Amino acid sequence: MQGWLAPRYLMWLGQGFGVTVGLALAAAVAATAAGSALAMARHARYRPVRYAAGAYVVAFRNTPLLVQLLFWYFGVATLLPEAVMQWLNTPHSVHVAGLAVHWPSFEFVAGWLGLTCYSAAFIAEEFHAGLRGVPAGQHHAAAALGLTPLQAFRYVVLPQAVRISLPPLFGQYMNLVKNSSLTMAIGLAELSYAARQVETETFQTFAAFGVATVLYIAAVAVIEAVSHVVAHRRDLSFARR
Amino acid sequence: MKSRTLAAWLLGLMVTVSGIAHADRLDDIKEAGVLRVATFDSNPPFGFVDPATNHIVGLDVDYAKALADKLGVKLELQPTNPANRIPFLTSNKVDLVLANFTITDERAKQVDFSIPYFSSGQQFLAKKGVLKSPDQINSLRVGADKGTTNEITLREKFPQATIVAYDDTPFAFAALRAGNVQAITQDGPKLVGLLASVPDKQNYEIPPFTISNDYMGVGIPKGETRLTAFVNETLKGLEADGSAGKIYNRWFGPQTKTPLVRIFKIGDKT
Repeated sequence: MQGWLAPRYLMWLGQGFGVTVGLALAAAVAATAAGSALAMARHARYRPVRYAAGAYVVAFRNTPLLVQLLFWYFGVATLLPEAVMQWLNTPHSVHVAGLAVHWPSFEFVAGWLGLTCYSAAFIAEEFHAGLRGVPAGQHHAAAALGLTPLQAFRYVVLPQAVRISLPPLFGQYMNLVKNSSLTMAIGLAELSYAARQVETETFQTFAAFGVATVLYIAAVAVIEAVSHVVAHRRDLSFARR
Repeated sequence: MKSRTLAAWLLGLMVTVSGIAHADRLDDIKEAGVLRVATFDSNPPFGFVDPATNHIVGLDVDYAKALADKLGVKLELQPTNPANRIPFLTSNKVDLVLANFTITDERAKQVDFSIPYFSSGQQFLAKKGVLKSPDQINSLRVGADKGTTNEITLREKFPQATIVAYDDTPFAFAALRAGNVQAITQDGPKLVGLLASVPDKQNYEIPPFTISNDYMGVGIPKGETRLTAFVNETLKGLEADGSAGKIYNRWFGPQTKTPLVRIFKIGDKT
């Protein structure tokens, strides 16, 4: 045993973990919003909207995430005007209520965009499955009760659809945390990047990747726990009605 | 041929016997009329087989030739790989090693080194006019190769710089082209090689400074002080009469495919 990692390297891993968590959270929020919009679009009344949403899902679900990340980082960067790239690559900060808010690096923005677009397609499919999982009889029953289509959707279909899609949705969040490691290819200093950097400097391969593994497991475990709590709460609140 | 081998063997025996009194490789070389030098045969532009002539040529070979000419003896090249350089010297198979041989303390325990005749250092590649001097690096975004000593050196020397590490040099260069980083760092000769195949190379430059250096010297058998002194004097002489500059320009000059400004001169470091 070569001893334990020096505090400096543990700090690097900690910072990397912070970036991973921040990236996964930001992408989860955006992907959930985009995913619900896409799922709605797949059930839209107008056919072109349905087709467009379907095409998006096919395009983003059936290409490797790594390729998409490289596309956003290298491909889009060459299309943007030089002045825009310069702005994106220089640090900016805004002072809000005495706190300095930093504009993230372009690596982070590209990684966030890539993960969001990719995960949104999967989340849209989970919501889509949830909506389709509500039996047609429920729609008819709601209509027979005199509810408008919007009311029927809001009070009858949606609660049941959410109940069906919640477990796979949390599964997608776990995938998101794991997929975020691919952003190391575009130079984002997240947990995997930090682990590799620590390994390069210390040659303590086992310790470096071991710590990273434990942190990933911890992050995914937290998501799993939250998923259980949310499911339990929902069951309770439904029981009370 | 046979008699010559016998003569050489007898000479070798005589030398070994007399060697107990005074071991001097410089006299042996002069007597044999041959300088045996180990060089690379597949490491352009230091030593490689020229497809047109089937002879080993390169920067190291030119220096070996200059040493042989100075002695007035024939040059005999022995192709080697990196791992065989020290064994060739310690087993007396060659008299000198000129094979991109970086001087390290570890190697200096087994062989002697001349003064350096070539230096390769960590340099930068940037769009023209962006990077002029090392003190600008702290305010730049610099791309490096993941897991290389270049990345570590850069972080140690320029802690303020934003370092973005990529999987390999082509990725780093793609990031430079896309404007994600303002400069990338690598060993000078590698950057030149990278730039050689770029269509719009006139837009890029390698600023003429290094932030760390590896020095290449001539490997000499341990304890051959007269031979070492001869090699050092010859190298200094080559620098003084301009031959060293000519040799450099033949392989790294502006007309070559891999132009790199000559920063290091023989005698800069001893």
